[in-house]
Amino acid sequence: MDKKFKRDISSLDDIFQFIAKFITLNKINEANSFYLNLAVEELFTNLVKYNADVVDPILIDLSKTSDSLVVEITDKSDKPFDINKAAQYDVKQSLEERPIGGVGIHLIKKMFDETKYEFHDKSSKITLVKFLRGTNV
Amino acid sequence: MFEIDVSAEKEIILKGRFDASQVEKAAVVFDEVYESRVVNFARLDYISSAGLSVLLKVQKRLKDNGLELKLKNMNNQIREVFKYAGFDMIFEIE
Repeated sequence: MDKKFKRDISSLDDIFQFIAKFITLNKINEANSFYLNLAVEELFTNLVKYNADVVDPILIDLSKTSDSLVVEITDKSDKPFDINKAAQYDVKQSLEERPIGGVGIHLIKKMFDETKYEFHDKSSKITLVKFLRGTNV
Repeated sequence: MFEIDVSAEKEIILKGRFDASQVEKAAVVFDEVYESRVVNFARLDYISSAGLSVLLKVQKRLKDNGLELKLKNMNNQIREVFKYAGFDMIFEIE
């Protein structure tokens, strides 16, 4: 299922409702539900922040196959936002060394098995895949 | 829905979902913390990097004065987020 959302942080409530509907329809477990919420929030807020000059809405597409959960986020913009080129987050840094921010993409990479990025026709498409194994559905 | 309260024992109580749209609401309480405090997560269902950043900012400020936030009663998913972020190394978590 997919839906376009106005690129504003105030859209988060609608986005979480959209995700909740997908979770209910597809009987997604608690852990994967948390990962879906977090991944979509992190990507959406990053796109809003880094492509602030864009007015087009952001398309969020959630799907479930027999063996995976897939998140696809498409954003029309001249500026690529390659999730796989984001700066590495160093989890071993001391409190004093830690930057404020920058951990969101790192969390997504820990929670999802695949992160893909495509840029075509002034449009970024980020795809996250979480494989469903055994009781992890 | 997100709520933040301070108990009679001065514990900071988080409830609901601490996402990017709730940073300002949380800052109203956390910006006024000038002593070591316990943050109770028992009724918090969700936190994203925006919430982590609020806590990190306070911890940095307090540590400069030899103080700290201590965190307790996290659910499994939130505990996992702290572990993945390496925040379990910079916060004492009960």
